[in-house]
Amino acid sequence: MTDTEPSRPELTLVDDVIPDVTPPEPPEKGPRRRLMIVLGVIAAIVVYALAFDYTNVDLAQVSSETRQQSLTRILRALARPELVAYDQERVITQLDVSIPCGAPTPVTSSGGIAVSPSCAAPGEIITISGSGFDAGERVTLSFVPDTEFDITLPLRTINAADDGTFSFDATMPDRESENTQQIQVLTEDPIGTWGDRVEVWTDTNENGVRDPAIIENGSLDVTLAAALPDVPGVAIVDGSEVVEFISYGEGFTATSGIANRELAVPESEFTPGPNDLYIGGIRGEGGTTTVTLNGPNGFDTTGWRLALYDATTTELVEVTGVSDLYQLSPRISETTWVSLDRIIETVFLALVATSAGLILAIPLSFISARNIMQDISSTVTNLALGVIAIPIGGLAGITLARVARDLTEPLRSSWIGDVVGIAVLVAAIVGIIRWAVPPVEDEPPTRSEKIAHRVGLIGAGVLGLVVFVLLSDLLGRFGTAIAPNMGVFSFLGEFFATLGEIFSGLTVVIATLAGAGVLVNFASKAGYSLRHRLAPAVLRPLNVLLAMIAGGIFGLGVMAVLDWFYRFQSATVTLWAPLAVGAALGLALAVRGMSSGQVNVGLSTYTVARTVFNTLRAIEPLVMAIVFVVWVGIGPFAGSLALTLHTAAALAKLYSEQVESISAGPIEAIRATGATRLQTIVYGVVPQIVPPYISFTMYRWDINVRMSTILGFVGGGGIGLILQQNVNLLQYRAAAVQMLFIAIVVASMDYLSSRLRRRLV
Amino acid sequence: MLTVEHLTKVYDNGTLALEDVSFTVPDGQFLAIIGLSGSGKSTLLRCINRLIEPTEGRILLDGEDITKASQEDLRRIRRRIGMVFQHFNLVHRSKVITNVLAGRLGYTNPAMSLVNRFSKEDVDTAIDRLARVGLAEKAYSRADELSGGQQQRVGIARALMQEPEMVLADEPVASLDPVLAHSIMQYLEGIQADGVTVLCSLHFLDLVHRYADRAIALNAGQLVFDGLPDEIDDAKFEEIYGREAERVG
Repeated sequence: MTDTEPSRPELTLVDDVIPDVTPPEPPEKGPRRRLMIVLGVIAAIVVYALAFDYTNVDLAQVSSETRQQSLTRILRALARPELVAYDQERVITQLDVSIPCGAPTPVTSSGGIAVSPSCAAPGEIITISGSGFDAGERVTLSFVPDTEFDITLPLRTINAADDGTFSFDATMPDRESENTQQIQVLTEDPIGTWGDRVEVWTDTNENGVRDPAIIENGSLDVTLAAALPDVPGVAIVDGSEVVEFISYGEGFTATSGIANRELAVPESEFTPGPNDLYIGGIRGEGGTTTVTLNGPNGFDTTGWRLALYDATTTELVEVTGVSDLYQLSPRISETTWVSLDRIIETVFLALVATSAGLILAIPLSFISARNIMQDISSTVTNLALGVIAIPIGGLAGITLARVARDLTEPLRSSWIGDVVGIAVLVAAIVGIIRWAVPPVEDEPPTRSEKIAHRVGLIGAGVLGLVVFVLLSDLLGRFGTAIAPNMGVFSFLGEFFATLGEIFSGLTVVIATLAGAGVLVNFASKAGYSLRHRLAPAVLRPLNVLLAMIAGGIFGLGVMAVLDWFYRFQSATVTLWAPLAVGAALGLALAVRGMSSGQVNVGLSTYTVARTVFNTLRAIEPLVMAIVFVVWVGIGPFAGSLALTLHTAAALAKLYSEQVESISAGPIEAIRATGATRLQTIVYGVVPQIVPPYISFTMYRWDINVRMSTILGFVGGGGIGLILQQNVNLLQYRAAAVQMLFIAIVVASMDYLSSRLRRRLV
Repeated sequence: MLTVEHLTKVYDNGTLALEDVSFTVPDGQFLAIIGLSGSGKSTLLRCINRLIEPTEGRILLDGEDITKASQEDLRRIRRRIGMVFQHFNLVHRSKVITNVLAGRLGYTNPAMSLVNRFSKEDVDTAIDRLARVGLAEKAYSRADELSGGQQQRVGIARALMQEPEMVLADEPVASLDPVLAHSIMQYLEGIQADGVTVLCSLHFLDLVHRYADRAIALNAGQLVFDGLPDEIDDAKFEEIYGREAERVG
């Protein structure tokens, strides 16, 4: 469709009079203008100088060597996210040195590493050099002083050069000794290459033994990496104590190795108790030996080892931890798994916040759209009656909700009652609506019919409230019932149960709003008839009176909020002052409104809504999260509440701008067909705003994912929590994993949302 | 019969769009409204179905005062008056048939409209109305996939959907090229042939001559001519369009 002006072939405007206008002179470039430019430049210089001062712009820091080393360290760490974990073998080489010279230094080179010279006075330099390392391999150099304690003094951690060599001039510490001391060179080599099965010692308590392995189904197979000797003996060792020993063969006693106490029980005499761990069998397969351990389920074999002996030579062939722990090397690191878990939490947090914000924002976007609101005006009478009606209607709604809940108590005793109640009531509501709002209205209804219809509809509304109560109960019941039987899907049950609770809470809110809405509607009808029936002489004072009462109520409402915050504890402040101010405002409004007859309610609502949204949007979700963390505790729930609030405000504004930019033509056309306001919105407004709404929602989800990544900084859940921990612990490689995940998710959300938006708009 | 009595419209910004306009349209007449852009033609048409609230005066449709009607009564009045627009005013993202069905909204239960439901009967009627403007096969296309001329025919089908007693056409052909104009005007003529009153604002005088039974002219909100199209002579033309206007063609 083109919006060009209509062509008018029959009609041309003869433009014969061209006014004789000389083109305006270009503005004069006088000294005044030059002065202004100079002043402007000077002002800019001053501003930027101040800005540099305040932001501590300091190039000395940037170029200092230690700072640059720090930068290198963190950048290199960030470049190597700890996605996979290698099992590492610590290779320690110790070389002899003497401080000062005197003590013997028999070993000055070993495994390609050498010290030169081998003795020095404290503060002098010994060069440590090595070769045959991997390029860039980390080498930790330490000094091992001559003490009875097992300590090392770190000298430096350096990286081997590209040719696999390193050289470091180490200043010797002030640790003089007559004895030989050592320089220690430590490297940690990854064990295994891709796909290798690597035996893993998980040893969190650092007792030199594997961590618990729990027996399941009565037995546990332990593989020892040694061939079965001809005459084997196996002992279960707890620490240094032989707990059980069996021997296939003759004359064997466990005398060597770890066990230092003889313990031999002939097989025939051994009767395991119900809580004993014992050897159930031993067999050789290829080059390995598998020992089957029997014991009660759940038996914890912490600190237990198996010792395999050659019964003939009485030599210890192999000792291994009981648990059969093998892992692929390299394997996905713990950090990766945790980060994955948290990034999923982050995305869902953003999803929940976006959805909840969306639901709140849609109705709000209409009241903050200028083109929809600006035409809604009301007479002073209607406005005053409406303000008086709101609290009364709201209270009536709350009471109704309570009554509905009490009355349905017997129904809600079982789910059958809920289902039957919902079915019957929904049928009744549909029936009432069919009767009260005929599909096609041919004849205008009579007055009594109208009243009957109204009463019927209100009745249907009350029934609807009861349905809502029953539905929330049913949902909760359903959720709690299915949750225990669903295994991994129990979260679905919990979801329904929570929905039930939310519905139950919403009942009161909806009832309050509906009550207020119905009464305001009545008030406006009453106002309409008052205005048409009463003489102006009666109407005017009545208007003033109503406006003053309404103003008083409004003032009390505002003061109730203020009083909650500040707790004035004075009747003058909390009661009389707001009444007086409100009434005065009402009076002013009534007098002002009398001249124009109308008060533009829509525009006022629009202004208030816009102000509230702008204020809410100005508060960062991070700040909101702090409040919510205090309220509902640390975790993603607090974060999603904070994001919801911010999203609702932001989306309401974005949406309302979309509503404002829709084309008015179709709406005009729909109105012209006799459509009601509601129908006009459904048929004229909604089709125009759905694509931009979806587009903005996607965009907002995108933003929310980004925001939820940092909500964890204040305890709002999501990946930010562990990111912050890792940064604080200087574990930059782990932090790099979280940053990588954030980058991946944010980039893919960005891509996804932009693609979806392009397709929709 | 439509009676307009002393109709005046002053916009909030003080613009006087219509000043004391009175005329009567008998049932079944094709009335052309002419005048320069900004002379008040659109305002006049929109006052009749109260898309614009008149400031003063009365508008009577078959004796019922439209200007005094309550919201509920206005809904019943509006659904009897179809309207066709210069820019077609279709909902672009909706299907053609949904746009046509929108003409039925004045008759439909608002609760049903919430879920986008129309009766089977209404849907059949909508297809029938589309067939009447030759667009039945486009029923399930999106409205913005249609050309300008086709969109205006959908607009006419929407007005027909109301089973109107009167159609208000606000420069229905001004956005279309002259070849299409006649096709659209012929549809309006066909509607008139069914006994529907047509009020149509027009720019092309030859269209007025060809289709209208009667013409009224507005200049700066005042009624400056009311008579047969053939009575518009050079003097009248100058009075309607002003001194600088020149008749061409």
